[in-house]
Amino acid sequence: MHIDVTINGEEQTWDVLPHERLLRVLRREGYFSVKFGDEDGRSGADAILMDGKLVNSHNILAAQAHNHAIMTLEGLGSSRDLHPLQQAFIETGAIQSGYNTPAQILAAYALLQANPNPTEAEVREAIAGVLDRETGYVKVVQAILRAAAVMRGEDVPPYEPLQRAIPAPPGLFDAPWPFDEGDGHDGGDATVTKTVPAVVISPPEVEHNRTVGKPEAKVDAVKLAAGKPVYTDDMEMRGMLHAALLTSPHAHARIVHIDTSKAKALPGVHAVLTYKDVPRVVYASGGQSYPNPPPYDQVSLDNKVRHVGDRVAVVAAETPEIAREALDLIEVEYEVLPAVFDPVEAMQEGAPVIHDEPDAVKIHDASRNIVHHIEAEAGDADAQWAKADHIFEGEYRVHQVQQASIEPHVVVTWWDEDDRLVIRTSTQVPFHVRRMVAPLLGLPVKKIRVIKPRIGGGFGGKQEMLIEDLCAHLTIATGRPVRFEYTREHEFTSARSRHPQVIRFKTGVTHDGEIVASELYIIGNTGAYGTHGLTVQMVSGFRGLTTYNAPFSRFVCDVVYTNIPTPGAYRGYGAPQSLFALEVHTEEIAEALGMDVIEFKRKNWIKVGDSMVMARALGEGREGFEQVVSTSALNECVDIGARAMGWYDKRGVERTVPGKPHLRRGIGMAVAMHGTGIAGLDMGAASIKLNDDGSFNVLFGATDLGTGADTVLAQIAAESLGVPVEDIIVYAADTDMTPFDTGAYASSTTYISGGAVLKAAEDVKAQILAHAAEHILHVPVEELDLDDRKVIARNGQSVSLEEVALHSLHQEDQKQIMATASHLSYESPPPFAAQFAEVIVDMETGQVTVERLLMAVDCGIAINPITASGQVEGGMVQALGYAHCEEMAYDEHGHLQATKFDDYRIYRANEMPELEVIFVETYEPSGPFGAKAVAEIPKDGVAPALASAIYDATGVRIRQIPFTPERVWQALRD
Amino acid sequence: MSMRPANFDYQRPTSLSEAIQLLANNDEAKALAGGHSLIPAMNQRLSTPEQLVDIGRLDELKGISTNNGTLSIGALSTHAQIAASSDVRTHCAALATATGLVGDPQVRNWGTLGGNLAHADPASDPPTVVLAAGGTLHLQGPNGTRSVSADNFFIDLFTTDLQPGELITRIEIPSLQGKKNAYVKLAHPASRYAIVGVCVVLEMNGNECVSARVAVGGATPKATRSPSAEERLTGSSLQVAAVDAAAEALVNDIAGDVMGDLFAPEDYRRAMAGVYLKRAVQAAMA
Repeated sequence: MHIDVTINGEEQTWDVLPHERLLRVLRREGYFSVKFGDEDGRSGADAILMDGKLVNSHNILAAQAHNHAIMTLEGLGSSRDLHPLQQAFIETGAIQSGYNTPAQILAAYALLQANPNPTEAEVREAIAGVLDRETGYVKVVQAILRAAAVMRGEDVPPYEPLQRAIPAPPGLFDAPWPFDEGDGHDGGDATVTKTVPAVVISPPEVEHNRTVGKPEAKVDAVKLAAGKPVYTDDMEMRGMLHAALLTSPHAHARIVHIDTSKAKALPGVHAVLTYKDVPRVVYASGGQSYPNPPPYDQVSLDNKVRHVGDRVAVVAAETPEIAREALDLIEVEYEVLPAVFDPVEAMQEGAPVIHDEPDAVKIHDASRNIVHHIEAEAGDADAQWAKADHIFEGEYRVHQVQQASIEPHVVVTWWDEDDRLVIRTSTQVPFHVRRMVAPLLGLPVKKIRVIKPRIGGGFGGKQEMLIEDLCAHLTIATGRPVRFEYTREHEFTSARSRHPQVIRFKTGVTHDGEIVASELYIIGNTGAYGTHGLTVQMVSGFRGLTTYNAPFSRFVCDVVYTNIPTPGAYRGYGAPQSLFALEVHTEEIAEALGMDVIEFKRKNWIKVGDSMVMARALGEGREGFEQVVSTSALNECVDIGARAMGWYDKRGVERTVPGKPHLRRGIGMAVAMHGTGIAGLDMGAASIKLNDDGSFNVLFGATDLGTGADTVLAQIAAESLGVPVEDIIVYAADTDMTPFDTGAYASSTTYISGGAVLKAAEDVKAQILAHAAEHILHVPVEELDLDDRKVIARNGQSVSLEEVALHSLHQEDQKQIMATASHLSYESPPPFAAQFAEVIVDMETGQVTVERLLMAVDCGIAINPITASGQVEGGMVQALGYAHCEEMAYDEHGHLQATKFDDYRIYRANEMPELEVIFVETYEPSGPFGAKAVAEIPKDGVAPALASAIYDATGVRIRQIPFTPERVWQALRD
Repeated sequence: MSMRPANFDYQRPTSLSEAIQLLANNDEAKALAGGHSLIPAMNQRLSTPEQLVDIGRLDELKGISTNNGTLSIGALSTHAQIAASSDVRTHCAALATATGLVGDPQVRNWGTLGGNLAHADPASDPPTVVLAAGGTLHLQGPNGTRSVSADNFFIDLFTTDLQPGELITRIEIPSLQGKKNAYVKLAHPASRYAIVGVCVVLEMNGNECVSARVAVGGATPKATRSPSAEERLTGSSLQVAAVDAAAEALVNDIAGDVMGDLFAPEDYRRAMAGVYLKRAVQAAMA
């Protein structure tokens, strides 16, 4: 049928099918700014304006759009002619991955058309239907209010994101903090109470920097603000087929019969693959360094299914609809087996054996579903326990949550003109994918090219070789390009998640509050497969025991199979679990000893110069390296945070809300310590070459997920090479074109990949200076430096980089000035943070309203304070979801109860607490320009800080997350 | 289970009578207003119509007006239009509140009151208010027009008195101007649907409540009135003891019908129904 629409002011007639959604038609017609987030349009990534009203295009039939006027972001502005909203989104750092940026901008545009001078609350309400998993909405709201002022014609000063920038005087980090003891709100516009800019307190080393430490706009921001087709799925290939996945309806079953003949006979179907059609090669799907940590307990397609949502068959067909129809025609007969979901039950004698296949490799005890049994200790047990005057024990439980990136897993595969397989995929680990997928396909690595375009969020969920194998198998089977995108339901049932754990701490303390011994036992539920099971749990152990670094520490852990969908890597990687338990446990000890909570923690937390007791015993899947804390501003973070929050006036004081006798206020805190890359394992490499005009190509394998990694690495190169960031052309994460990188995980990119960029830049710089010294300026090379796009000599002579480039490429001693460097670190210098939370608890309903989250963090030098504070804001909000409301819950048959955004709660813009970030910078000598990590530490402290605040408000200690109304209500009744 | 809507035929009638004819001609046809309820249901194959009759452009079903103190809302009015209507704010403030609390801006811009009531989702907000407010639904079908009071319209979970081929054309609500009314809800944090929603309409004479209507949604399979709670409030001066007694009465009235899920088990919803009755009375009198 035909529909007539006016699209971005242009009248068009489109041929559509009755069941086609408007989203699919818009994208087919080339409006790629409209994004798929979920089947029901609940993510809002698919939002468009219909007759000026914001609507979700995936919840509307194309036929319904007949005779309506549609506007997409393409109609608002282009990269050459940006609308003030697009400009403001770029300036304020409101764009991370950019996947839902078009929808946010359209929502804002609709608001500002109706209301040019909105309040912050009105802005938040207007964008409430566009879920954001990345920014915490702070900068998005700032951007919209700023654009509104520009559009009203007001004189808007240049964007200044820093509330204060206080260079720290020498020695300050040892002295009491001369900090303005305000409420943290001064300096903001009165209407902008919830978009407090980041505060940076910097050591003196950063003063001379030109671009490092500066809030540079993201190098990819313009194309993202313009909604250009930059993501995996934003492409069309002639003859491209669409894949669909058949998954298991049973938690545990054997496939006794499978018949694909009817599906194959359906017109338009090109391939149907089951376990009978692909080679059986065991592997571990986690995107980790070679050799991948065991076990190897997966195959591409198996004759047994181990959780609801496990892979059964995959189809490629002419259209997505035909592919899905074909799934219905696959006849499967299952022998349903008993299933087990509780890890403690799974370890018992007689429990169903989940991995009984003979070819699985390196399972500790498959008959009892124990994948790994870890025991590690350091120190003198007898001597330390003998010192303990008190022994405290506590059990804590943490649950399973999903990364829920708004862009699902999506991949396109095809054969190129040289019969090499190209895999364009939304991944955090392109190089691991190439190496890991090769044996499954029976192809040598040299026959595979993996390309990571822009991706719409990952958060660890894409540190996995998750669906690339199946898509590639379909290209191999059909010879055609194949596109495979997960449904939202598959994201929940068939992707990865955070490991649930049972956590037991036993802690020995002296009368005066010194922790002398600590034991941690964890039962980690790794679900149906063991991917990341070993290393996540080892990180739980290391973080749980290192924050207070007891002289005797012991970690025991069982990693256990059950029939739930497989957990994997999720931002924080084991630390949020054990730090929740640790921080609640520590607060309980302080309370029991009658000590001030902060002072008890301060007495015991790890300090500069301390050697990490468990560093050698607990590496990541292998033995670790000795590590000493070289920098920490944890003291200052806690003190500044406490003062900014008014901690000492509020903590322990019963506080009510006038006129609302059922409400109680509470304040809580937790400390956190994370890592920066994996010591002795993570490696990144970079190449830099000089172009004719004095610009530089910077090529690296590092994988920007929206975090701003490309920008930060460009800043490091620019700083070193004495040029503005605009002279750096970044190309990244393409296995044919860029050097290797382990990938975007373990908070490693700035530190590890940045280290590689810095080394390569220093090498290039040396070559430039040498060429200029020898052939142009004729002065000793030691007297030369780079600045302002020039080689400058001490005697005042200078030559532009362009002249050096032209000279070295064309005129004399011709060569390509370029360098490649790799970087590895045997240290993983910990960032530290103090997390504070204020809540209101409804004593009648158990509802917890989080009013304010503040994190004061020492991440070393923040190379880019805008992208770094975006990491903290977004990370705190994900952590808040973990603590408060997100939950993967199952019925008794292992069916997930939340497979849609209507059931799985992600915080919306209009229900956010006030977020505040304070950077207390240290200069980490091992990091590029003093940097440590920032990406994961915001995930660690929110849950225990909330527990602490709920305790402060109610006197009730809850040792299990999330703090759903019903759980809190039950706890208040008990 | 994969998400995929089955194939279907699509019709776009230009008049109400044509729409009714189309629906009457095909037992497997379904009316499509906005589609915010129907399309997700079709995704999951909870609904598999052969034919969709798009009534979204029928002018007969549009518009909000008042006649002789009665509020008349066309079935195709969107939640956003109702929430913003000064007529609705004046004559049934609780409905303006409830429609303003539905979902998010996109849902309110596209979802319609008629579609919402026909879908009869127990967790939806408008049915509770239309019931408490004493609303009447005007229906038109192959056998002509008829009116059904909200008391008789909602039958069970996703089940109404709508007969095959019938459409809701408009909803009439007697003006509540002068009566105290309010809708409050405990929202599911993800969907914003009501875990419990309570609407009260109180007619006051000085300090005395001379009549009361109380409806609860979210906790029960359909929007449900509580005669016992109404009885406790009527004749009282809404003092704490009376409102507490009404809350207890409400909980007793619905006790056998309360639904639970993993997020909000039965005992929690039951308790919250009482808490939210008290809050509704408070909000109405504020």
